[in-house]
Amino acid sequence: MSKFKLATIVTALAVAASILALGQPAAAADRTVKIAGWGAKSGPLRSFGVNSEAVLKAAVKSINDSGGVKLGDGTMAKMEFTYYDSACNADQAISVVRKVESQTEALIGIGPTCSGAAAAMYGIFQKKVDDAADTGLQFPILTDTAIRPGLAKKSQWTFRNVPNEITMYDEMFKWLRGRYPDVKTIYGGTETDQAHSRITFAAVIVPMAKKHGFEWVGGGIKEVTGKVAGGMKQVLEVSKSSNWLLADTSFSVQARAFKRSGADMMIVSSHPFTTCGMLKEMRRQRIKPKVLVGLTSSSSAETLKGCGAAAEGMYIPTGFAPITEAAAKVAAAAEANGGAADLHSAAAWENAHIIKQVVEATGVMAKPDTLKADRRKVRDGLEALAKVDGLMGEIGRVQDEGESIKPYVFVQGQSNAWKVVHDPR
Amino acid sequence: MSYYLGLAQLIGIHTLLGLSAYVLMLTGQLSLGQAGFFAIGAYCAGILTVIFELHIVPALLIAALLAAFFAFLVGFPALRVKGLMLVVATIAFGEFVRLFFFNLSWRVPRDGIHVGPDSTNGFREIRYFVANGWSAWEITLFVWTFVLLVMAALWWTDRSRAGAVLRAVGEDELAAQSVGLSLTTVKVTAMTAGGFIAGVGGALYAHTATYVDHLTFTVLLATFAISYPILGGLSSVFGTLVAVIFIQGVLVEGLRFMGDWRSIVFGLLIVVAMNLKPSGLFDARTARLLRRAVGLRGGEKSRA
Repeated sequence: MSKFKLATIVTALAVAASILALGQPAAAADRTVKIAGWGAKSGPLRSFGVNSEAVLKAAVKSINDSGGVKLGDGTMAKMEFTYYDSACNADQAISVVRKVESQTEALIGIGPTCSGAAAAMYGIFQKKVDDAADTGLQFPILTDTAIRPGLAKKSQWTFRNVPNEITMYDEMFKWLRGRYPDVKTIYGGTETDQAHSRITFAAVIVPMAKKHGFEWVGGGIKEVTGKVAGGMKQVLEVSKSSNWLLADTSFSVQARAFKRSGADMMIVSSHPFTTCGMLKEMRRQRIKPKVLVGLTSSSSAETLKGCGAAAEGMYIPTGFAPITEAAAKVAAAAEANGGAADLHSAAAWENAHIIKQVVEATGVMAKPDTLKADRRKVRDGLEALAKVDGLMGEIGRVQDEGESIKPYVFVQGQSNAWKVVHDPR
Repeated sequence: MSYYLGLAQLIGIHTLLGLSAYVLMLTGQLSLGQAGFFAIGAYCAGILTVIFELHIVPALLIAALLAAFFAFLVGFPALRVKGLMLVVATIAFGEFVRLFFFNLSWRVPRDGIHVGPDSTNGFREIRYFVANGWSAWEITLFVWTFVLLVMAALWWTDRSRAGAVLRAVGEDELAAQSVGLSLTTVKVTAMTAGGFIAGVGGALYAHTATYVDHLTFTVLLATFAISYPILGGLSSVFGTLVAVIFIQGVLVEGLRFMGDWRSIVFGLLIVVAMNLKPSGLFDARTARLLRRAVGLRGGEKSRA
């Protein structure tokens, strides 16, 4: 066989496979409640997607085991889900949501992982429902992971079930103030090329610490409670020698800046991968602050796996800990499915149950010819929700913004585990 | 249908990105700075339609001209280096542009919210198309109008004396100089044209995605830009299009059903394709065979 023929055959097979995959026709008219999930299952943030899928799988199984979902005509339908890899990439997240909306019978989507991808994806949605002049996508989304503040209000079709970091850090620094009255000064750093880490550090963590009487070493931050951008700029300016990037592998300069500061409290605002690099370097340089504070996203199994010993003593507020019967059950189920339940992925469980609740409340029919109307019902149902039951307690909804107010606890790294040290619920 | 149309838009935009590198590669230059020109086009066009509320067409052309201007500036120092040195120099330029936009914050109030580039928060609300009622069909048609115009221009160039000049410089600089060709003019012109095309692609990208941030324009995007003409072949502009369809349509989208295996199969198929078709998926031989297949006579000899 000539090379040309072989190449032709290989190409034809690849094209045929892709066409089959691309053109998955809408399934037959069975009565199932279909949902679609997507997130980073490849790339450096792969574990986030793997965890979300594992939890979603467990949630759908639990719903089906308990009889399924009651449709508008009283029929009990099973719930089905498909999980797609959209990496941590805006193009892919947009492509997946378009595929799900136009090529599947999914009633709603759950995803994506990264805030940047979510920000891009939300932008292609219709901003205001029933605005005929806006040709954006009309498909409901209930995001589980992307946590950057203020994203869901971009469209009335987009909703999130993610923790509110402003409230969590506000309460945590208030609690730390009482617990450590002798702690006066703070210092810290963040991975500046990750919007969530950077914004939470500069616009949430440091301002909240200052609000509760902790002072940045040297007093370089004059005012952070006014205009957010102004405050952020000051925080990033004073921390410029102690910040890093997601791809960094060396943290000796930043750790040295931490050491030189001599601060009582140190803040490491980054995702597990660089948090571990920084914490290990701090350990190597024998930096022992009185209090160590981390970013919400680092209260995960990845941090413990990567640097459990170095994270000893670190305080983080989180929207998930296996402290209730339901939460413990989800943590076990996620592990059985090859993932881990954490503040991001556990939301996938809640989301599946929220969807069940909304479908039953709004009389969704789950028929091919009612798909468009069903999606609208789900959207309206989500908007109407005032509160729902979550794994850690009641979840309130900020209805006009599509956001959640979730219960939270404060955890601390202790003996290679996240132990709940304060439960304000 | 919106999925296929979205995919068609993405393929069109990446084709422009690939063609921006293709022009340069004809002259023997390998640039990893195309993502930088793409970023300039994206941010500039976004700023013009969002902050200055310009129509998309002038915004797109101004953005492309600005990208071309920067490519022109980069073209001169790039003359002093070639090969891997040029790759490194253009990576540096791409990173410079990326980090510039990473730090750029320019927001203005509009309809109760602040719009414009917002540093690490990215640039949201580039919603010209959907806010003006453009359907997915119309957006796709708009994107492909530019793709076809650029392809036609390059196809025509390739068959004119200008194309021969570009390829002559790419084949042998010394020989080209000895027949009186100005390397400076040819290389800088190719760099400028590449910048213009990347700028058009970036402008279209920003408006179809509605959001851009600095992470969109990393070295990975620049690598894709040069991968398209390399994988597709330099014998014609269609090679780049074939490679984009292969990578974005078949590998990225078509293999999504493979889940965790996708990345592995992705790399494997690229290796297989490059081994089977070292001169590109759409090399001169394939072009001849296709011409024969559709009954066209006088297939040209290979120029690959």
